[in-house]
Amino acid sequence: MAPRCRRYPLPLPRSSTGSGSRRFISSPVDSSVAAGSGVAGAKGSTSKALNSGVAWYAGIRGKLYERKYGSDFYKWGSGASLGGVRHARVASMPAVGAKFDAKPEDCIEVSVDGKDVTVAKGMTVLQACEVAGVDIPRFCYHPRLSIAGNCRMCLVEVEKTPKPVASCAMPALPGMKIKTTTPLVKKAREGVMEFLLINHPLDCPICDQGGECDLQDQSMVYGSDRGRFIEAKRSVTDKNLGPLVKTVMTRCIQCTRCVRFASEIAGVQDLGVLGRGGAEEIGTYVEKLMVSELSGNVIDICPVGALTSKPSAFTVRSWELKSTESVDVSDAIGANIRVDSRGPEVMRVIPRLNEEVNEEWISDKARFAYDGLKRQRLNEPLIRREGQLEPISWPQALKTVAEAALKVNPDEMAAIAGKLSDAESMMALKDFMNRLGCERLWVEGNSEDTVADLRSNYLVNSTIAGLENTDACLLVGTELRIEAPLLNHRLRKAVRNSRAKVGVIGPETELHLKAEHLGNSTDILASIAEGKHPFAQTLSSAKFPTIIVGSGVLQRSDKEAVLAAVQTIAHKANVIREDWNGYNFLLLNAAQAAGLDLGFVPGSRAPVGDKKSIKFLYLLGADDLTPEDIPADAFVVYQGHHGDRSAYRADVILPGVAYTEKEGTYENTEGRTQQTSPAVPTVGDARDDWKIIRALSEIAGVKLPYDTLNGVRARMLAVAPNLFRVDELEPATPLPKESLPETKGKLDSSPFKRAVENFYMTDPISRASKTMAQCTAAYGRS
Amino acid sequence: MALSWQIAKSTATKPPSASMEEAKHRVLDFFREACRALPVLMDTYNLDEVITQSELRSQIAAAFRKHSAVTNPKVVDMLVFKGKEELQDCLDHSKQRHHLISTYVVGTEGQISLKKLGTVDHGESHFLKNFYQSNLF
Repeated sequence: MAPRCRRYPLPLPRSSTGSGSRRFISSPVDSSVAAGSGVAGAKGSTSKALNSGVAWYAGIRGKLYERKYGSDFYKWGSGASLGGVRHARVASMPAVGAKFDAKPEDCIEVSVDGKDVTVAKGMTVLQACEVAGVDIPRFCYHPRLSIAGNCRMCLVEVEKTPKPVASCAMPALPGMKIKTTTPLVKKAREGVMEFLLINHPLDCPICDQGGECDLQDQSMVYGSDRGRFIEAKRSVTDKNLGPLVKTVMTRCIQCTRCVRFASEIAGVQDLGVLGRGGAEEIGTYVEKLMVSELSGNVIDICPVGALTSKPSAFTVRSWELKSTESVDVSDAIGANIRVDSRGPEVMRVIPRLNEEVNEEWISDKARFAYDGLKRQRLNEPLIRREGQLEPISWPQALKTVAEAALKVNPDEMAAIAGKLSDAESMMALKDFMNRLGCERLWVEGNSEDTVADLRSNYLVNSTIAGLENTDACLLVGTELRIEAPLLNHRLRKAVRNSRAKVGVIGPETELHLKAEHLGNSTDILASIAEGKHPFAQTLSSAKFPTIIVGSGVLQRSDKEAVLAAVQTIAHKANVIREDWNGYNFLLLNAAQAAGLDLGFVPGSRAPVGDKKSIKFLYLLGADDLTPEDIPADAFVVYQGHHGDRSAYRADVILPGVAYTEKEGTYENTEGRTQQTSPAVPTVGDARDDWKIIRALSEIAGVKLPYDTLNGVRARMLAVAPNLFRVDELEPATPLPKESLPETKGKLDSSPFKRAVENFYMTDPISRASKTMAQCTAAYGRS
Repeated sequence: MALSWQIAKSTATKPPSASMEEAKHRVLDFFREACRALPVLMDTYNLDEVITQSELRSQIAAAFRKHSAVTNPKVVDMLVFKGKEELQDCLDHSKQRHHLISTYVVGTEGQISLKKLGTVDHGESHFLKNFYQSNLF
């Protein structure tokens, strides 16, 4: 295999398909290109205070780095690449200067290989080299983890020091003369590599990391060209970390990234280092699984093949895969993912860097539920005849549905959009049902009488990244770790970095962060609202107070009273200000935010509550209704991609497509519009969801006025313009205090219920997934 | 075999046609040759199930007529040569049944026209017609 290390300054410009994305930057000393080079830009840096995504890790919180949006450019440019998320190779760039923003007085000047560069105070030598556009090989250093300095791969020479220094752990000092190309450095790297390879097995041909292994890549570039080992290599017992992470501990080079990830990011103390010297091992101390919703990320940060994906073991080679940039729909966070496929199969899902949403982590459900895409799929229209589902042609299926719909009085119709519905299909379904005269629509997860009038009432207004800045947070009726693991991680960062105080009202759950469980009753909520509870004081004395309300609250009968109490707390504690809106309503499902923005809520004339009157029910992938909810004489249409719960009740099944097969718009819980892109072809005779509804509307005689995807989007633009601006966050305008809603009803003293019973199985895809079933068996509710 | 060999001999390089008349003559000769080969082809590839011999003949005639506008004798020679090559491939069984079916029975529209055989126009919109055929539009 050719050397593919991209941190080595190659003499030739490498051709890549995405050549447009490459940025060649001239000498960093040239101040005329200050914006592009590493020279500290004097441009406004403080305004991004709320968006500091990565500043904390290097211990230089407050020195903020410029954030450039787009998947082909990363904040730590080349820095995040080797150790972090594996990005498509074509997106790699030649080594260029990493960027940062800092005030000129907070900068120092160092020289890297004879070039003077200005870097922020507190940056390490390695970071200074990155700013200068010099790539330093590393294994243990990871920009999001604490510095361990134990792999010694990043050794560089600094003038007037007796020995080479580990650049990741050495702070850059003014006037430092760093050299990275001297024979001493070359020899040091060769020596370190030789030590690392002494005990590393030569099983690259059967190793799942082969082709995307940092050790493989770096040994090609920095290693010696011959070996001189005669001793036997050591072997280490493999550890069982659960059904997700496969371990081959003999391959481990003890970089301790996984240990640091577990304790610092995931917040579980499950992994640790045992033994010393040659006997050093990574393990779980006692036989124990690694229980975390973020555990799959250790696969990405492991620089070698010690931790690999268990479900996809021995199935793929990185160079066979086609990568498609997409968005996760397993929860409302909308983590950015890359779907790697081979032919018609999704082979793996890995995170994509987006500092504002998921950084470079994704939850285990997002990462491993993809095998559900191959099971239980609906691939042709079906109709129920004498209790049995039988295949039927598209024209006949649509005709049957249209006839059934036209027979029913509009008041007795209803349509429910499922958790994974995209905005386009919800738009089409809303238009279709409205044209039939039906206004009884809702999205799963929202209650049946949700009001979508005030956008700030149903979004995470502090933004996901902004939650890191909070210093006091009240969780109401939510189990944050299970409902949104990535948001929980942001809150955990706030707790770790600025000792934010977290109070929880709701079911008691281990959040893996320091939180005070205040109780699980609305009395506590009321006493905070009245200012009697000590936590009310904590909130009002906080600089950036936040409240996170879980959407499980919507299922309560006294939800208006609960929300009114929360609003009272918000206004008393000054949670909503000009410069800070800490009122967060956490949605559960990917479809919810877009559904609310599109007004996929019951209209004013729609009957509420009594489901018994429903005669015609259109389920757009909605599976949460129990059979008792659906009257026996109702005609049920199920449009979806999986033969899940509701498909068993359906009279006609129209096969749609899953999120990996379509171009769909989703809005995450903070109001950010994002799009999935098709990675694999559709299954069988299935059709895009909006097309099904468009075709059905024509058969039913209420033809929708759009024939193309862009047509639907133009319609969305008219209804909710923010859904047209992809990858943009549309903040909601907070309401003035005077518009506080009147408190309706009284608080019910019943405790808050869990919104998610099993983290691993929440939607049709994860319920069809074998891996998720194994997780449920291994971790229980977790 | 004998027939196949004959054609093989006739595809051997000949001097180019001196005039358009000579080229036309060669075309007619080749068309007769092809017609003579039809019964063998019908038999070898079991084409009776999908097409009659006379239909197949008119398909072949149509393939000839497609080039009726050609006036350059060199081009005509080239087309005859390619046609002979094709005929020989068919006779040698270098092709398989579906090759013949897709070229001479179904025609250039391929699978799409096969699907169309069953669909009757009910005055649906363009969108709906596409929708019934596939998801790729």
